[in-house]
Amino acid sequence: MRPLTIRHFPLNLNFEAAATLDDPSFNYQNLARNHRLLIMGKEETPQITRRATRHSSANVSKNETETKASDQPLPPTLNDLFLGEKEKPISLDNVVSSFPGRRVQIIEVMRILGPVNCPMVPLFVYGDSSTGKTSITNQIFRHLNRPFVYSSCLTCYSPRILFESVLNQLLFHRKNAANGYSSAKRCEKPSDFVNLLREALVSVTSSLQGNSDKSSSKKLCRRACGNMIYLIFDNLELVREWDKSSTILPFLFNLHDILKMPEVGLIFISNTSPDTYYTSMGYLEPATVYFPDYTEDDLRQILLLKQENKKLYSSFLDVVLKSFFRITRRVDELSTSFSQLFRKYCEPLNDLGVVPNEEMKRRLFSTLQPHIAPAMNEIFKVSSQTSTEGGATKHKSSSKKSSLEVSDQLDLHMSTSAKYLLISAFLASRNPATLDASLFDSTGGSDNRKRKRKPSEKSLDLKESAEQELMMKGPGTFPLERLLAIFQCITSVAEGSFEEEEQENDGIGVQTGDDSLMSDVLLQLSSLCNANFIVKGGSCPLEGSTRYRSTVSEDMVLKVARSVKFPLSKYLYRR
Amino acid sequence: MTASSASPPPSAATDTSANDNIQPFYLLHKASSSKNSSRKSAAARRIDLTPSKPSNNSQFDSHKAFHSVWSKIDSSIKGVLRDVNNNVFNEIHTWVRQSFLEITSSGLPSFAEATRSLPILNHATSKQLFTGLVLIKNMEFVDDLLTFEELGVCLKSHGCHVANLSSRDFSTKNGVGGCLRSLLRQFLMVALDAADISILASWYREHGNHDSPVVIIIDDMERCSRSVLSDFILMLSEWVVKIPIILIMGITTLDAPRIVLPSHVLQQLCPSKFILASPAERMNAVVEATLVRWCSGFSIGHKVAVFLRNYFLNHDGTLTSFIRALKIACVQHFSMEPLSSNLGLLAEEDSNDEGEGPDFSSGMVAQIESNLACGLTELKRSQKCWGTVVMCLYEAGKYNKVHLLDLLCEALDPNIYNAVASGTHTRSGKGFDITSSSNQSVAQQYWRKGGPISQVIQKVRDLPAASLSQLLKSWENLTMDILEIHDKVKELHPMIKMEDGMSLKQDFTGLSKRHTSRTAAYIKESKTGNEKAANLITSMISKFMKPIECIPFHEVVCFKDVEKLQLALNGDPRRRIQVDLLEFHKFLQCKCCNRTGNVPIPSMPDTSIMYTLAQEHGDLISLHDWYQCFKSVVTNPSIKVKHKGKQQSPLRKKRKETNENENKSESSIQARFCKAVTEMQITGLIRMPTKRRPDCVQRVAFGL
Repeated sequence: MRPLTIRHFPLNLNFEAAATLDDPSFNYQNLARNHRLLIMGKEETPQITRRATRHSSANVSKNETETKASDQPLPPTLNDLFLGEKEKPISLDNVVSSFPGRRVQIIEVMRILGPVNCPMVPLFVYGDSSTGKTSITNQIFRHLNRPFVYSSCLTCYSPRILFESVLNQLLFHRKNAANGYSSAKRCEKPSDFVNLLREALVSVTSSLQGNSDKSSSKKLCRRACGNMIYLIFDNLELVREWDKSSTILPFLFNLHDILKMPEVGLIFISNTSPDTYYTSMGYLEPATVYFPDYTEDDLRQILLLKQENKKLYSSFLDVVLKSFFRITRRVDELSTSFSQLFRKYCEPLNDLGVVPNEEMKRRLFSTLQPHIAPAMNEIFKVSSQTSTEGGATKHKSSSKKSSLEVSDQLDLHMSTSAKYLLISAFLASRNPATLDASLFDSTGGSDNRKRKRKPSEKSLDLKESAEQELMMKGPGTFPLERLLAIFQCITSVAEGSFEEEEQENDGIGVQTGDDSLMSDVLLQLSSLCNANFIVKGGSCPLEGSTRYRSTVSEDMVLKVARSVKFPLSKYLYRR
Repeated sequence: MTASSASPPPSAATDTSANDNIQPFYLLHKASSSKNSSRKSAAARRIDLTPSKPSNNSQFDSHKAFHSVWSKIDSSIKGVLRDVNNNVFNEIHTWVRQSFLEITSSGLPSFAEATRSLPILNHATSKQLFTGLVLIKNMEFVDDLLTFEELGVCLKSHGCHVANLSSRDFSTKNGVGGCLRSLLRQFLMVALDAADISILASWYREHGNHDSPVVIIIDDMERCSRSVLSDFILMLSEWVVKIPIILIMGITTLDAPRIVLPSHVLQQLCPSKFILASPAERMNAVVEATLVRWCSGFSIGHKVAVFLRNYFLNHDGTLTSFIRALKIACVQHFSMEPLSSNLGLLAEEDSNDEGEGPDFSSGMVAQIESNLACGLTELKRSQKCWGTVVMCLYEAGKYNKVHLLDLLCEALDPNIYNAVASGTHTRSGKGFDITSSSNQSVAQQYWRKGGPISQVIQKVRDLPAASLSQLLKSWENLTMDILEIHDKVKELHPMIKMEDGMSLKQDFTGLSKRHTSRTAAYIKESKTGNEKAANLITSMISKFMKPIECIPFHEVVCFKDVEKLQLALNGDPRRRIQVDLLEFHKFLQCKCCNRTGNVPIPSMPDTSIMYTLAQEHGDLISLHDWYQCFKSVVTNPSIKVKHKGKQQSPLRKKRKETNENENKSESSIQARFCKAVTEMQITGLIRMPTKRRPDCVQRVAFGL
């Protein structure tokens, strides 16, 4: 409550008045500063001091806060800008040791941040994803115990939300049901943002000053945090995909110059290098720190960090890390695939605390070996295992096996006309258009090998290379007309047998005759498109009509063809 | 709607009686007569059910009857579908619980931590999002919209926070904001213009919500915009430590996530797979509930059944369309059949055993009652037997994966039944006897080889003893109501059981030396058991499985008009347009054009002239030539008719006889030409000129 009383002091403070205050933290040296704070408070809004109140009261009740149930919504305070406040501050050595292989980068970042109250140039941290950029930055701030505002451009997906998120944090505003989940300030334009930001920053830095003064006098066991405040923008590379990226990006880079406040430090974190933000505006070039990919040794140390039985895990890493390292260096990818593999590795063991000897290692390796290769292939795939708790279907089979199991029949319901449509789309995508006539023409028919002449060596080579090229290009596109033509051909071929079957099956072919498969073809086509079996491609630049492309695998089409007894291989063009 | 139609005002009633041939209230019907369309809005809403000799009362009755019957069918379908998915839903729910425990195992973050965007430093795997991939085993998605809705309701009832998103929320136009907004709208019940996931976080922690998981269901993942979906997933994975989000996505193939999402997004998913019931399974359940169990009193004839089956297999393949077809059939039945209103009463009688409700008071119904009452009860009894036998067959067919719909088609066929019945009657009189094998061999020849019924009988013959006794047990349960069959089954069951026990014993002594002789005896005996069961089912079929079309008065409950249904369901192919354009006079029936053969004359509609002219061209039609021909036809009828044999360009001659009015009408002809071309383009007969050939249009030759 004390600052509130200070507010009501007359401007010409006299010593007695101050001395009567029963406050050990109130010494005369601070008077001048308090004075300044007071003036600022008057100049701006009375809000500041109220906030300072909240802050100091929070300071007092800090210990209580920690013991209280964590889900009690407390109003946010200045403390929320510190990371080192709630958790124990950590030493620099701790930071360095918890991030193996990052010593250089940590020291570099620290150097750029500089000592307390030192203005800094904007910092640009970049490196591949999962190289520790965000974690290290956060930990450094926790170590330094300096206030910062963090916003990720992933969560804040538009300029407005980014701006408002920054302002909310600076103004200690929290969205909740009481305020209708609205932001403190509505802010959409960069210019508004600058004004509001400046206002908010001024108030925060001034209260920071008061804070540091008091804390030094109170001799609280807190380190001086200075009056700098840092704004961290994470995932900056995403901003490039925003609609207004052309204005927002230069604005953010330029923010330091625009604000002209030495108390503000800007930190950008991105997973692409600064060259990719090709904006040749005349702003201050930020200081860059590059986080390179981890080396194999670094990865080993990182992965070992949180393991209980380090010996066992290290013997596991001996087996797997080298081969996986060739595929990926991302810690998150590695740790997800290793966590599954390690479970397999430990399966034969009863006691997980065991220190493995050579013989045991060999034994464990032999049990693990068959799992390594599939796991390596799956690093980019979803391994859709059946839920073990459901236990509805047989599982535990490796992905290879399960794919073999389903290979025989189609596990998808499709109407017959959709099946034929899918087959014709596949044919249209795979076969060159020039071949259609010979394949589907009744004269060309299926026995087109009659007119095969012995080709020369040269032409064979040419053909081969054309084939290669075709494979590289993937499935080709085709216009709707071609699809329908092929559809008509193959259904008319199949119709004969189809109809016979139908007759056999139910005596009276009530409707099979005239329009058995033809109606609703376009409807079927659109549902095939919806199921991603056929992709509606861009339009042909010359003709302007939509082109389609079939994306299904040959296996799947073969299954479909088998289910309708269609001789697919007869129609498929192979060299 | 029911309220308004329950008491139609007299004015409307007189109006309806004036117009005799009004087609009823079906959306899919061809346009009704012009009188009907003239009175719009309110009247159009009202149902004009007018059988040929209408009285206000019967109208009202058949409408009501339809409603009571259809609501019965509808509710039974819904119940059945819910039951079908029950297992999967429970499985999903336990998985959701388990994942929730796993997420929260590392402890809840504090409120302040949880609501701001600063990432919580944790193990790398903690960013993984638990994802349930629900495989819908159908290419079409329609059937499962309801399923996912129900899944949401089911999870909600278990205390989860559930939001249902669909691909519409993941459009590129709205971006991530769109799906967040709809998410917040469902969770927080507020509409915000700046939707932000931190809001969700503070909501989650605010109201003591935090002891249950947040489940997000995306029902058709494959149709979502790829970039938006992957952004969304990345965002969720960043927050998953703070909000325990569990994702459930509906997919058609397991490859779908791999196709739709980039690898760094896939990395964030921790998938589990669930499989919904296949359309065939659901179809079995629905058919059982609606058509075989005869709950509603409405049934379909053989041809209709075959049509429905083919429609399901060949065309649409969705349950939704099957149900819709059934509804159309039901509606048409009630509109066509004046006595059908009794069906509703029949159904009602079924539900409250009193027989006659207060509605019977009207004179007509009373009369019908006297004539029909016994007939209908007989019909009902026989239908019950029929349904029981079909269910027995289906029960046996399950071992062979026979679908109920196929079985139904055959079981409804009156021809087969008649043949079988006459055959058995001549040979062995009224034998309903397990042991006589003569009748079944006779019957066999009437069921087509490979048809579902003969398949089932064959299967019964080949069943191993254990499953045979299981089958008999289920038969016993099924035939509970029909004593005649029940007794027979009961008679047979102990025999089989004995053999079953024997086979068990045999398993123990199986390794002994006497093995061979024993097995031979056993096989023989078990064969006789199977044989007996097969005979039983065969005689059951010939005695009790009387198709509805063989029973008197079946017209009251049975819908047979397959053409009408076909008309309502199958659209005409495009070929139809082409034919109609050429044979327009069938529709217009004017005097001026019908005598001409294939030669265009000016009195024809413009589009017809154009299309006839276009026939002369190949794939590409030169616009200039086409226009000149058109103009010549339109301006000079007489000459054209004279020269019709020659067909060689009459342009030259026309040029010469220039008259003033031609000059004047030049522009109007051009306008007519343009209009006709546009019409043809809209109907999909031609394609507009391309950049490559600006002066030609292309004919689209497909009559699909």
